[in-house]
Amino acid sequence: MLKTILRRILQSIPTLFIVITITFVLTRMIPGNPAVTVLGPQASAQDIKEMEIKLGLDKSKPEQYFDYMMGILQGDFGTSYVYNRPVTSLIAERIPNTLVITLTSLAIAIVIGVGIGVLSALKQYSILDYIFMILALVGVSMPIFWLGLMLVNLFSVQLGWLPALGMGSMSKGIGDVISHMVLPCFCLATIPTATFARITRSSMLEVIHSDSIKALRARGIKESSIIWKHALKNALPPIVTVLGLQLASAFTGAILTESIFSWPGMGTMIVSAIDNRDYMLIQGTVLFIAVVFVVVNLLVDIVYMLINPRVSYDSKGGN
Amino acid sequence: MKKRVLALMLAASMCVSLAACGGSSTKENTAPETPAAASESAAAGETVAEGEPVKGGTLTISLSASPSKLDPIHYSGVYESQIIKEVCDTLIEYNSDLSEYVPCLATEWTASDGKTYVFKIREGVKFQKGQYQDGRELTAEDVAYSLNRSGQLSDSNRLSMLEKAEVTGDYEVTCTLKSANSSFLTALTDAGNAIVPKEEVEGWGDEFGNHLVGTGPFSLETFQLDQQAVLQKNADYWMAEPNIDTLIFKIITDSTQAVNALQTGEIDMAMDLKGEAIQTVRNNADLTLLETAGLHVAYLYFNMEQGPTADINVRKALIEAVNVEEMVASLYKYGEAQKASLPLPPGSWGYDAALESKVPGYDPEDAKKLLAEAGYADGLTLDLYISDTEARQNMAVLLQAYWAQVGVTLNIHASEWGTFSEVAMSNNANVYGMSWTWYPDPYFFLNKLFATDEWGGIGNGQHYSRPEVDELLQKALEATDQADRADYYKQALALIVDDLPGLFYANENVIYGVNSRVHDFIQRADGTVKIVTPENNVWVAD
Repeated sequence: MLKTILRRILQSIPTLFIVITITFVLTRMIPGNPAVTVLGPQASAQDIKEMEIKLGLDKSKPEQYFDYMMGILQGDFGTSYVYNRPVTSLIAERIPNTLVITLTSLAIAIVIGVGIGVLSALKQYSILDYIFMILALVGVSMPIFWLGLMLVNLFSVQLGWLPALGMGSMSKGIGDVISHMVLPCFCLATIPTATFARITRSSMLEVIHSDSIKALRARGIKESSIIWKHALKNALPPIVTVLGLQLASAFTGAILTESIFSWPGMGTMIVSAIDNRDYMLIQGTVLFIAVVFVVVNLLVDIVYMLINPRVSYDSKGGN
Repeated sequence: MKKRVLALMLAASMCVSLAACGGSSTKENTAPETPAAASESAAAGETVAEGEPVKGGTLTISLSASPSKLDPIHYSGVYESQIIKEVCDTLIEYNSDLSEYVPCLATEWTASDGKTYVFKIREGVKFQKGQYQDGRELTAEDVAYSLNRSGQLSDSNRLSMLEKAEVTGDYEVTCTLKSANSSFLTALTDAGNAIVPKEEVEGWGDEFGNHLVGTGPFSLETFQLDQQAVLQKNADYWMAEPNIDTLIFKIITDSTQAVNALQTGEIDMAMDLKGEAIQTVRNNADLTLLETAGLHVAYLYFNMEQGPTADINVRKALIEAVNVEEMVASLYKYGEAQKASLPLPPGSWGYDAALESKVPGYDPEDAKKLLAEAGYADGLTLDLYISDTEARQNMAVLLQAYWAQVGVTLNIHASEWGTFSEVAMSNNANVYGMSWTWYPDPYFFLNKLFATDEWGGIGNGQHYSRPEVDELLQKALEATDQADRADYYKQALALIVDDLPGLFYANENVIYGVNSRVHDFIQRADGTVKIVTPENNVWVAD
């Protein structure tokens, strides 16, 4: 298995190389000039020219690409035009903030989503099942920004229970931090919860109608043990796949949620980087997210091998 | 049975969502009228100053974009200058209605030959304590150092007219300009030319912006990117001890959320309110709406060099086709702007109301005739470029309808600022729609929008050029007497208006929503938030 992991890591290098190249080309293709966005609307043609030289944008595109690649090989991901600070330190500063809400919301999503999914599967075609599945449908189709603003309107403006935005501060106690997290996490958890519920339901249905479960029942094993120990374990692989996808896409989902709630994470930074044509920062964050995707995919595959020994990625072995 | 259950549930969920929508609209309709009346009866642009000022407390203000660089020579946005101007002072300042310069770190100044300015520096002013100095006194050397630094290194060339600043006495600095330039004094009021201590600048190097130190009423305690800047009062401030203890600028990029935070009390002041948010503030008894005519012009700028609009008759027809009064009334439903005519806001001292009548009025019949004469009897297609803000998009749709009536087909290209600015700068648009706002000195409007040497910038991206105008603008820049300058600008403005370079349709107000606990705040037409000035010292009641 170690060999497989090593091979997968090596395989991801060309993937990342392609990501870097495509991002480089795409950022240069969007209309707009970083020198102009850095200086603001009142800049004169002269100011703009000087800023272009300062940012190295007067060089030819292949030259810029070469410089960027050489930098990356030496661990230098460039300096943000707007913040005037190394991209790596900006990303490192934001990751904890983003992780806090993405992981919390995913944890919520797993517990509630899988729970709902199992219940729905057990009570297939019951009223409960209908209610859950309609809620799940609403959940996956809900526009996050709309939901976010409605939640704020209800819980902050009308009821005054929760803060409308921002990140709490530990200096005001854990309560402040948690109260600031409730709305963004709820918002971010909506889609994953619904997705988990639906995938768990269908996966469970397949398993509980299988012969192996019938055989277990025939042997008189306790129903709760059948469901939670045997059925759920066999229903896990698709759920783990979805978990991997959701974990990675939670990073991108955070973009909207963070913007709405003024949450100082990766999302708000990506939005402002794109608005400002901050090439270095866009490239850096996209590369970072690509790495997250690659790593998560790798982890999913490893987990797969652990929970289901029949799965093998070694071409020589297996079926 | 199962189908019926499903249908019932669908109906139920729809009812819930309808109720949610309905809830908010009823609230708007039935909101009491009194608060609106109350806020309008308050003196325009000021919060109540009566009562004994309370010391202490926190004032939280929202910023709509994230400040990134607080080093004066690197800053680029208004939101950054707000913070810089609380931490640092400039040599001179505008008074609150922007009608004259008032002393700040310079107590007096004299100008000779338009090129040499001598400033007397205020004595006994102390810097805030920093990492590299212990709150020492401000000296003439600091002033000369800061001005020379900006003159040479400012990213936006905010003091490029300065040849050198020299210490010529214990508390005296003499500035020599490269050539006579009357925009110098206005430039000195800019946050980019704030006075900073050399040790801190050199000690921190590139990091100075994150540890900004000056002589202002508040010192920078923490600056968290994309989150907030927390400022503490400078108890030794030379002008007066600030009433407020803590001043927080909180970054809220979503405007709906800014108003939500204002309603929940998480912030005390929200700037740049637009549209429905204005009504929300009016309807809320705890909030006050502040409104002041801004130094702002919203306009459509025609391409002066290429395409059909290079023909002045086409431009005239396009202007005549629009009922500006009606357009402004429907664009600014909440009264947040006035109809405009000229490329200068009425608040600028170069404004000349006599020129308003030279702008063609609404006359679609004449417009059709002019277009036919210009060879477009069968119609004409134009491309309009705008940034994708709501105000601009609504304007574009109305414009499309007006111009359609005279046979002009308008393609609207709305994109975010980065894309828009590139098109606007490069002389590639038939028409672009944007707005301009800056200082009351006409230089900051007329030169930027109409001087030939501003080609390639966003201001004059449509390549307006007329030698007589350039000459008058130059004369106005060199003259030292404001009456002479105003006269030159009026002459230049008259020529510009004759050329019909654009349709200047609205002057927007500066609009803030403020919590009623905020007292003695004076709103300024340039949108600068000043907490302590010779005229006011903001305090909050708890």
